[in-house]
Amino acid sequence: MSALKLISNRTSQQALSNSDYTWEYEYYEYGPVSFEGLKAHKYSIVIGFWVGLAVFVIFMFFVLTLLTKTGAPHQDNTEPSEKRFRMNSFVADFGRPLESERAFSCQVAEESRSLFHFCINEVEHLGKAKQNQRGPDLESNIHFQEASRNSGTLEEDLNCLTKFNIPNFVNTEQNSSLGEDDLLISEPPIILESKSAMQSSHRILD
Amino acid sequence: KNITDFSLNITDCNQVVVPEEVFFTVAAAGILENLLVLIAVIRNKNLHLPMYFFICSLAISDMLGSLYKTLENIFIILCKMGYLARRGDFEKKLDDAMDSMFILSLLGSIFSLLAIAADRYITIFYALRYHNIMTLRRALVILAIIWTFCAGSSIAIALFSYEAATVIPFTILFPLMMFFILCLYVHMFLLARSHAKKIASLPTSTVHQRTNMKGAITLTIFLGVFLCCWAPFVLHILLARFCPHNPYCACYMSIFHVNGTLIMCNAIINPMIFAFRSPELRSTFKKMFCCPR
Repeated sequence: MSALKLISNRTSQQALSNSDYTWEYEYYEYGPVSFEGLKAHKYSIVIGFWVGLAVFVIFMFFVLTLLTKTGAPHQDNTEPSEKRFRMNSFVADFGRPLESERAFSCQVAEESRSLFHFCINEVEHLGKAKQNQRGPDLESNIHFQEASRNSGTLEEDLNCLTKFNIPNFVNTEQNSSLGEDDLLISEPPIILESKSAMQSSHRILD
Repeated sequence: KNITDFSLNITDCNQVVVPEEVFFTVAAAGILENLLVLIAVIRNKNLHLPMYFFICSLAISDMLGSLYKTLENIFIILCKMGYLARRGDFEKKLDDAMDSMFILSLLGSIFSLLAIAADRYITIFYALRYHNIMTLRRALVILAIIWTFCAGSSIAIALFSYEAATVIPFTILFPLMMFFILCLYVHMFLLARSHAKKIASLPTSTVHQRTNMKGAITLTIFLGVFLCCWAPFVLHILLARFCPHNPYCACYMSIFHVNGTLIMCNAIINPMIFAFRSPELRSTFKKMFCCPR
């Protein structure tokens, strides 16, 4: 009798109290649930929900792979100008013979890895060009000081950002060790000045 | 007699029970893994970056979720063994506190994922100014705001739980955030793909479509895992509020413990797809375990 009262009290509250669930460890204190006359299978919501979720995820995957194959041509117009400039300079320098740059890298087999090296070497060249133009001015001094203080953090930062966990186009394992070697070869001011350029290029590639 | 009538009707859709060993194993694994991520980030000075702070925030919210489930199970066991009163005042307050911890964990997860996506978005689209936009201090301020908001909302939701005014915003927030995160990632993905195409069109490059496929897989895994782990629980809350007496809804709600276990699985999977993809973090782990102390 008291159990009945308990149940009717709860249903009249129109709210499911979580504490009742916890201490009773029986979820169904809702009151009588009649299972007669069900037209569909009783687990239809469960099945429908999971099927719908699976379909949605697979659909999302196919949409993404379709985006891979076809293009979004208007994408180019929406880029900010700074990226376009960097991309153009990157593309312009890309035509140079790359065999000499390959001497810097140890592995040239995989496409993604070679791309990474193109980036690093490209940035090195950009940085050297910039440094030749500028000479030792105040900015590069400050950069050098900053860099010498934070070079470890910066290189790690660069590595982390260039690895860029998503989407992981570039193979991260081999590149990480290689990237650090290449970065250590180049001088700190170059790292800092062309850091952003390198970041965005890698971001873009990744 | 009346009680047996009820029980006959109810046993048509039995509560699906997850064995306690499975429960505790999954919860313990989740807590340990996320604790390791936290320790690794704290110990390695190279990892004191906004990106890793957001990953830490995700690890903390995952830990809270697993902790909640573990504590709840422990309390239920203590209740069964008779050490705790069933309807005591203290137990009710404890229960409310634990509910708010769980909702805090859910909100923290969602906002951490959002912060990680936004951070990556800024890294791509504002690459030159990234270090000015996302300084360490700003990242910490953002995290403080997020967690304060989550704490406040979770307490409010736990106090007024299962009323329509709290359930509906809660269940709307979830798909909204998912959609927003999806948009951010898709935009990043499109940009990466278009630049990869540009590079592929150059004469000296040999880029394959394969790399873009990998990006699509990664993106799908990110969002698919979060959806599959949290959406069942959110649907459960909706059904519990709006159709508790419907037999179909009741059958869905009978798998509540499976949904809870899924949430704890999310706590195990999240570090793998966010934290462990960083080589620096992996090397920190190796140093922590391989070097004798």
